[in-house]
Parts: sequence; structure tokens; C-alpha cells
Amino acid sequence: MTFTDDVPPRATGIPVRRVIGLAILAALLLFAFLPLVTGGPDPLKQSLRLSLQGPSASAWFGYDHLGRSMQARLSAALRLSLGLALLSVVTAMVPGVLLGIAAAWRGGVLDEMIGGISEAFMALPGLLLVLMLTAIVPDNAMMLYLGISLVLWVEYFRLTRALARPLLLSPSVEASGLLGFGPWYIVRRHLWPELAPMLVTVGSYGAASAIMAIAALGFVSVGVRPPTPELGAMMIELLPYYEEAPHALLQPIAVIFLMVLALQLIGAKEKA
Amino acid sequence: MNIVLKVTDAAVFAGKTQLVEPTSFDLAAGRVLTILGETGSGKSLLVQAVAGLLPTGLSATGFTEVGGKSFDLTAPTSLRPVWGRTLGILPQEPWLALDPTMRALDQVAEGHRLVRDLEPEAARLAARSDLVALGVGDAERKLPGELSGGMAQRVAFAAARAGGARIVIADEPTKGLDATRRNDVIALLMKEVEAGGSVLVITHDLALAKQMGGDIAVVLQGRVIERGDAGTVLTNPSHAYTKRLIAADPANWIAPTTHEQQGEHILVAEGVSKARGGRLLFSGQSLRVRRGEIIGLSGASGSGKSSLGDILLGLIKPDEGTITRLPGAERHRFQKIYQDPPSAFPARITIGQNLSDLIRRHSLDNISLPPLMKRLGLSKDLLGRLPAEVSGGELQRFSIARAMLLDPVFLFADEPTSRLDPITQQETVALLVELARERSCAVLFVSHDKALIEKTCDNIVEIAHSGGK
Repeated sequence: MTFTDDVPPRATGIPVRRVIGLAILAALLLFAFLPLVTGGPDPLKQSLRLSLQGPSASAWFGYDHLGRSMQARLSAALRLSLGLALLSVVTAMVPGVLLGIAAAWRGGVLDEMIGGISEAFMALPGLLLVLMLTAIVPDNAMMLYLGISLVLWVEYFRLTRALARPLLLSPSVEASGLLGFGPWYIVRRHLWPELAPMLVTVGSYGAASAIMAIAALGFVSVGVRPPTPELGAMMIELLPYYEEAPHALLQPIAVIFLMVLALQLIGAKEKA
Repeated sequence: MNIVLKVTDAAVFAGKTQLVEPTSFDLAAGRVLTILGETGSGKSLLVQAVAGLLPTGLSATGFTEVGGKSFDLTAPTSLRPVWGRTLGILPQEPWLALDPTMRALDQVAEGHRLVRDLEPEAARLAARSDLVALGVGDAERKLPGELSGGMAQRVAFAAARAGGARIVIADEPTKGLDATRRNDVIALLMKEVEAGGSVLVITHDLALAKQMGGDIAVVLQGRVIERGDAGTVLTNPSHAYTKRLIAADPANWIAPTTHEQQGEHILVAEGVSKARGGRLLFSGQSLRVRRGEIIGLSGASGSGKSSLGDILLGLIKPDEGTITRLPGAERHRFQKIYQDPPSAFPARITIGQNLSDLIRRHSLDNISLPPLMKRLGLSKDLLGRLPAEVSGGELQRFSIARAMLLDPVFLFADEPTSRLDPITQQETVALLVELARERSCAVLFVSHDKALIEKTCDNIVEIAHSGGK
């Protein structure tokens, strides 16, 4: 039965979750980038006198085992994680979407070729691919970035293709063709408005998983090498000092948690 | 008379707004009650309220008395015990309501087993005899995808009634069906009535109401404005709206003065043939369209009407034959009006945006749109809305406006009004014909409704079938 005939359209408000997510993300960005503007302690400067000192009025976040400022290290690590994650997401999104549209539009051999390549990537566990690349050229953030992008693009490709295929076959696209509109119009007016919300969702989930991957690799000492501050590496460095300075170990964990939470909240679709 | 369903003061609310006024009606055993009204009149809501099936966000008041028990409609879930057992609901487009992964017999047996608590073996036997009684006994091992539309409808009907329901509610049972399939559905429902069951039909289809007979209630803006015996109401309506509704039935349209067109040929098809899905649709089809001529194309669904139109527009290629278009006329002067207006517009941009894109694309005059919209009775406010936010009739008039902006020489109107209510249909067809005549635009008008074609077109063309079917 069609219930929709008589039902007035539902009013759509601003999704509260997305606002909360954006607020957390903004706070994290402020924390990460403010030291670049106002200046602050050097994340690499050691001072063993301050080793494992707890939070105080002058240093809210305390110091790590080598007496380095936790605040400086956290914000530097955040810049690295967020920057790398966003860069990977954009790098994966652009070719993923373009290839998805191309495959949906042209179909045939092109579709099968790109589809085959994407399936080859799907068959490989994502983290393993990143691990392999970082093993080939160790200690290189570039490889980390490349690996993560290579893992992420498949999702954009598959989703775009799946969304674009029925749209391109729909009467509305046929009508636009008859009315004399070209392919660019169809991408801009038919495909893009349908794809954009999906890209926000998948993009934030992708960024969250990129952040987790970077941290996981840092944790197993494969990703970024010390002394560069990185959240996963910080955790493994601080793990032996858990008894004496639990605050120090908990900080990078809390930061990752907040970052992933913010991105998940931004990505979450409002339930109808 | 034995009353099986008694409704007292059923009303529907969205928050505080009353959508359907308190309405009472009775349904007797072995009788039909047809609730007739246009889209948005509240006829579906009324019946959903009575059955306790309103969508969330809406509430009802009043009482339903069924099987000797009275149910308060403010607590719709209290009706749950009668669902399937006393009240059966025949879904719209039943082929979508069947489980695509379940064989026909199992779908029906499920009702017998779970609603009537029969043993699995007994349930299968009961289901088999249901299917045989409906003439689809040989379909029991088939999946819904392997059934024809008519067979799927019968299986769905058997499934809806498996719980023992003797009151069947059918919401728009003929929506989107061609004449043959419609008659099947009507026969199915009438058989139920003859066997002593009761049928409650919701429809905007006047012909269906006429064929079902029984009682009729006409609903307008949430209010029953006229009721009575179907024969009396339909031949001698008292309310002005009912009169308009009956006049809007294509069978009652005044035949137009046909225009013999002498103009040049703008589109010539010679010996065209097309096969789809391994079946030959037509072959050796020829068609000559003169400037400003309105040609009707009629035939059962699946006969290739739409394919022929698409071939003329160059949207699909014919297997054989040639199409010659008027030399010198640009491609965009051959346009199409679609059956389902919302699917013919980009869904996420406003209608105004779409039209201004079109004006910019072809460097058209901005001033030609407002008078065109005025002619079509479209207010300016609608331009700021998305296609889903205007009614089907308004959107279809927008698609006529959109095509007319390009000064077309040929319009392929593919069932342009089959999703519209009768009054809207009449208005839309009249406007389309009027504008086309004014601009000497030829129209190929496809419809499954023979009366509509006869009362609209200058000439009627038949699809050339080849050998047998």
C-alpha cells in the first residue's frame, strides 16, 4: 500500500549529531593548529628533569618519559594524523568517484576492467597493503599516505558506480539528454546532488579508519618513526610507564577516541 | 443484512490537524463498498485508520466493530488480533508485496500455518486448494519473479486471505494495469463477494467503481460528500464534485472536432521492427506524422508502444527500418512527456533551477516562461520547490511547459496521464492538446485507455503485430 500519497512531507531539521561531531572536530583542530600561530613548546625538546611530571597549572597535559611537553606532542601528532587522513581521503575520493562515474556511464569493457582492479584491491586486507608498502620503503610518511589512499579509493568507486548506474538509466537523465543537455550537466545536476551526501558519510568514515590505521601502524612501530610525534607510537612509548604516569598514556588514547567519534558523528546518517 | 464491519466516527489527525472528518459506514456480508476519491482526498487514510494501520505520526479516533467486537481506534494495535484472521489486505502492486525468494505455495501456506495455527502438512494442503481455486494451481512451485503479473496478483490474494479473512480491503487494486489485467482483478474480487465475503475497495478509478457495483462513498478533502448505491450515484450524482468526476471519465468526454492535417511530414518511419528480450514487439511498422497532427497509439501493455515512440525519438535503435526526421529541425525539437512525472526531473534540484538551466542552455528568451506557466495554471511559488514537493498533475504540466519552451515539432506523450486522477487527467490532456494545436506541434499520444485516445486524437494507429502474437 502506498502510504505516502496522503502524508505531508516531513520537516528536516539540522542533524544534531553532525553539529556535535563538527564541534568536537573544530575543538581538535584548534588544539592542533593553535600552537603554530601562538607558538608553544617544541615537541622534540627533552628535559629529563620534567620526566613523567603530571598535569600542572603551567603545563595542563604534563610531560612524557623524556620530559617532552605532552601538549606539544599531542598537537603535533594530531596535525600529522588529521592531515594525512584528510589528504588520503581526498586522494582516494577524486579518482574513486571519477572512475565510478566512468564505469557506470560507459559500462562494458571499461566497467569490467576497473571493476576487476577494484576487486583485486578488495581481496587484499587493507592494513596488509599499507604494511607491505611501508616495508618496501620504511620510515616514509609518503608510503603511508599512498597505501591508505590505495585502500580507500575502492569504496568510493563501488558506491559511486552503484549509485550512478540506476540514475544514468533513469528517465530523468534521458529527458535531460533530449532537452539538449550534455554530460557535464548530467554530472552536475543529476549525479552530484545524489553523490554528495554519500561522500560526506563515506569520507568521514574513511578518515576515521585512516586515523586508526596510522595509529595501528605506529603502535607496531611500522609507520612514522620516533622521535616524530604520532599517536600510536606515543602509546607504545608510554606503555611501560603506565603505573607511574597513567595520564600520559591515556592522553593519546583520548585524542584518537575523540577524533574518531567526531568523524563518526559527522558521517552518521540521520535515522528516518 | 448481516453487517460484518461497522465503522463509527472514524477520524484521522496529524497532530491537531484533522485530515479526515468523523465518518461512519457499514459493510455487509456479500457486499462491496467502494470509497472513491482523488489522490490526497484522505480515502486511503480513512481505510488505514479503520484497519489500525496508520503510518506513524498520524492518529485516529472512533471505533471499528468487527466480528462482534468493538475496537477503539485511538489504540490501533488492539486491532492486531483481527489482522489476517478477519481483515485481509490486498496490497497495491502485489508482485512487490510477495517475498521474492519464496515459492508461491509456501507464501500462502505460511498464513495458514502461522495465523490459523495449522500443522505444516495441513497448511500446505489448504494453500494448494486455495491456489487451485484461484486457477493458479500450477504456479505453486514458482518464485514470484517467474509469475506473470496476473498470477502474482492471485497468489498475493490467496496469501492475504490465508488467515481466514472474509473482509478484503483492496487499495487501488487496478493501479497501473491495462484492460485485460484489470478485468482479472475485478473478477477475482467479485468472486469473493459471490462467495459471501465482503470487499472494501479504495480507488480513483471510476470504471472500477462501476464494475464492482455495491455501495459507493465519494470522499473529497477528508469528508464523505456523497454515498449510496453505485448505480444511482454514478448515473445520477447529486454533488457537484461527483458530477465533475463522472464527466472527467474519458468515456464521457465530448469528442473533439478532428483536424485533417495537410502539412508536411515531420517524421516518417518505414518498415520498423524491434525485438526485446527475445520477443518480437512489432515488425514492418510504418508511421507518417504530419506537422501539428495528433496521433493516438493504443494497445495492451508489452505491445511495444513505448518502444516505438522511443525509436521515433532516436532513444533506441530499431532492428530494421528507417526513421526520417524533418530536415533542418534540431534534435531538441523532438521531445517526450513521461508517464511518471517525478522520474522525469532531476530529483535534487528545484524545478525553477531546471527550467532556468534549460533557458540558459538554449539561450532562450526569459519572457516566454511566465505566460506559458500562466496558461498551464502553474503558480510562480512552485518554481522554488523540488519535483517531489509538487503534485503529480502540477509536475506533469511543468514537463509540458519544459517541452514547449523548446518550440517542439514533435512530442511523444507516453501514457502522460495514467498516474493522475480523472479530473487532473482531463485538464492535463486538454492543455497539452490546446498548446500543441496552437504551436503546430505533432503529438504521438500513447495510452492504454481506448476512450481517451478516441476522444483526443485526429488519427489512431495500431501496432503492427507480426505472425500470431
